[in-house]
Amino acid sequence: MKFSVAKEKLLEALQQVQNVVSTRTTLPILSNVLLQANEAELHLTTTDLDVGVRGTCEAHVDKAGATTLPARRVFNIIRELPSSEIQIDVDGKNAASIRSGQSFFKILGLPEDEFPPLPKFEDAKVVTMRQKELRDGLRKTSYAISTDETRYVLNGVLFSFKENKVTLVATDGRRLAMAEIELEFPRSHESDLIIPTKAVTELQRLLTDDGDVKVSMSNGQIAFDLNKTLLVSKLIEGNYPNYRQVIPGEAKERVKLEREMFLNSLRRVSLLASDKSHSVKLNFSKNNLDITANTPEVGEAKESLAVPYKGREFSIAFNPEFLMAPLRALTEDEVFLDLIDEMSPGVLKIQTPFLYVLMPMRISS
Amino acid sequence: MWRFCNTVNNFSMDKKCAQLWQRLSAALKPQISADSFKRWFSTVELLEAKDKSITLTVPNNIYQLWIESNYMPALQNAIVVTFGGPRLVKFSAPSLAGVQTSVEDAALVKEASPAPQVEARPAATVPGLNPRNTFESFVVGPNNEIAHAASLAVAQAPARTYNPLFVYGGVGLGKTHLMQAIGQFVWAKRKNMKVLYVSSELFINEFIDAIQHSNLVKFRKRYRQPDLLLIDDIQFLGGKERSQEEFFHTFNTLFDGHKQIVLSSDRPASEISNLEHRLVSRFEWGLTAELQPPDIETRLAILRKKANAMQIKLHEDVFQFLATRIRTNVRRLEGALMRVASFASLSGRELTNETVEHLLKDILQEEGRQSITIEQIQRRVAEHFDVRLADMTSKRRPASIAFPRQVAMYLARELTKASLNEIGDAFGGRDHGTVLHACKLVKKRIAEQDNIRQTISYIDSSLQR
Repeated sequence: MKFSVAKEKLLEALQQVQNVVSTRTTLPILSNVLLQANEAELHLTTTDLDVGVRGTCEAHVDKAGATTLPARRVFNIIRELPSSEIQIDVDGKNAASIRSGQSFFKILGLPEDEFPPLPKFEDAKVVTMRQKELRDGLRKTSYAISTDETRYVLNGVLFSFKENKVTLVATDGRRLAMAEIELEFPRSHESDLIIPTKAVTELQRLLTDDGDVKVSMSNGQIAFDLNKTLLVSKLIEGNYPNYRQVIPGEAKERVKLEREMFLNSLRRVSLLASDKSHSVKLNFSKNNLDITANTPEVGEAKESLAVPYKGREFSIAFNPEFLMAPLRALTEDEVFLDLIDEMSPGVLKIQTPFLYVLMPMRISS
Repeated sequence: MWRFCNTVNNFSMDKKCAQLWQRLSAALKPQISADSFKRWFSTVELLEAKDKSITLTVPNNIYQLWIESNYMPALQNAIVVTFGGPRLVKFSAPSLAGVQTSVEDAALVKEASPAPQVEARPAATVPGLNPRNTFESFVVGPNNEIAHAASLAVAQAPARTYNPLFVYGGVGLGKTHLMQAIGQFVWAKRKNMKVLYVSSELFINEFIDAIQHSNLVKFRKRYRQPDLLLIDDIQFLGGKERSQEEFFHTFNTLFDGHKQIVLSSDRPASEISNLEHRLVSRFEWGLTAELQPPDIETRLAILRKKANAMQIKLHEDVFQFLATRIRTNVRRLEGALMRVASFASLSGRELTNETVEHLLKDILQEEGRQSITIEQIQRRVAEHFDVRLADMTSKRRPASIAFPRQVAMYLARELTKASLNEIGDAFGGRDHGTVLHACKLVKKRIAEQDNIRQTISYIDSSLQR
């Protein structure tokens, strides 16, 4: 195969597919990127057998064909090439000659028929979403995904398609994040799918704020078609826990907080949260919130925020990182914190359908 | 007997269980908010209570997830109050796929769903841990159930149950297996917890090295940062003052930082010779659990489990033979099984008690060795060389007395588990260096002179009988 391509375009496409390549792979072919050139396009595909990404870039194709080349190495080479025009010529033995300006590289590759093909999506259920909405939904929930590998069902985000709504849920047993996206789809498309963490991470990188994404679901696999890029992933098999049970009932107190100010105060105070207790205390009193933390033998920190609060005086402690994560992910100016008592979870809410349930920590005397 | 209850039929609590659940709930309620209790425990029932575990039925798998993640300390407190001791908590629900973390129920999950557990995740493991040492491969019997339960409790909630955990027992009884099982469990379950497993010998060597190369900062960082520190064979700290001092500080830093420490030893902390009292008291602070030699049923269970795992098929008689003759050391038991199995598959011959006896001659001899005491050796040697028993311990130096004494010291070293110090003490308060010298000398003589070799071999076999 033989083609020439602009450096920036090739680099961009390579960047999109790089991350999927696993650094510790047993099969050499998985460290390679599949290059397919035909007509006026070059397709680049990488996979780790669970998640695969295919990118596209414009190219001037002299001779169509396909091969696979070491992904990391090719990326590093292309990045360093001097000129913006690159010619690549691959012979029958999968040796690729890369020319650009005065530089010449020859890289040995593996045949394309050894590369595991991305799954086909026949009889797939397809829905179309706005990229921005999906991106927002993932951003608001992905930080709560469990990293405990023994609870594999939780190592991903739940996508629940029901009654013209897609509910995204992530939990690790100590906190739960839930976001909703309004979407029309036929009843036949109603289902619950669990998308693994790696796919969620890659998806967040690839999604933009414009345009649509076509989502195809079939046979334990899901595909996200973002026009020039395609991400395919295995789904996690299993039953996602009934998350609704976690959501507390009626709140006793609801406090309106200015998100950024609250986040910044938490960030500062948590500098003094000890390694052993990982907790900050929120003390609510009339129109005031004191945020405190202390580390024995080191010191303490305290900040006071004026907040509209008329309820009874009480304190509750949280893991600062677990409290800050959703605050960082949200963009709204105001958030609401629903509370019941010091041993019950707090719920963070905003105007649109979203909630974050966080279990409190014990307040040490 | 009041502690035990079982289901009468699938979905209703029998009366005993209902009563126990009442008590458990009463002990649990004050620890958590009324709201939380109502939400998470009002629909829970007690399915069964055994002496090592209890099973709770829950409506669906979110309950197990949330209770395990948030209410275990409170639940265990209530369990101790109700049952007098900790219990492993198991859950039962219509669908548990994916949320199951209880190790003993791994089999249930495999049946319940086409679980990706079949696609073995190549879990990277903590350096130094043998992947075969897990809770699942550990055979529990009355000889080790306390140590096992304690280890499991520690693995499930590090630094929140028993800290430190001190496990001791003789050779080949499972100390390392249990410790590594804790390490594997925590490592798999909590990716963000730092786990460090070392032998105390490594600790000591690295410490000495750090001093020599002025690298103490790095050394301290390595040993004071883990969330779970597992140290094997802590008895080697005995007599090493500076290392003990360093370990004292390491221990304190970890303990005050609520990090879990697990130690193993071949004897109880109070019996480790030349161990600083402040370390002994710290080792005894948490829970001390003994690993005893298994009884015959447990030995049979171990053999069967191992044979099953390696797909070895042997006649029941062989298992009986092995379990009866090898009583004190599980490692030796498993080794014997392997030897017999390989012989059977390679030679294709019938296994009779005689062939097995012959095949395992040296192992069986080792077993016999356990019961030889230093005094017995002294008697036999004295008898053979025609000297008095008192000469063994006397200070007399003529070769006719010294040499037999040295032979006895040599045999004591070869045939018993006693340390050089202990042997020295048994021979009239002699220095361990003297014993070492004696052994070297006798070994040299054996190599040089045929008659000496024969003599000693004769005494050896007469002791073994």
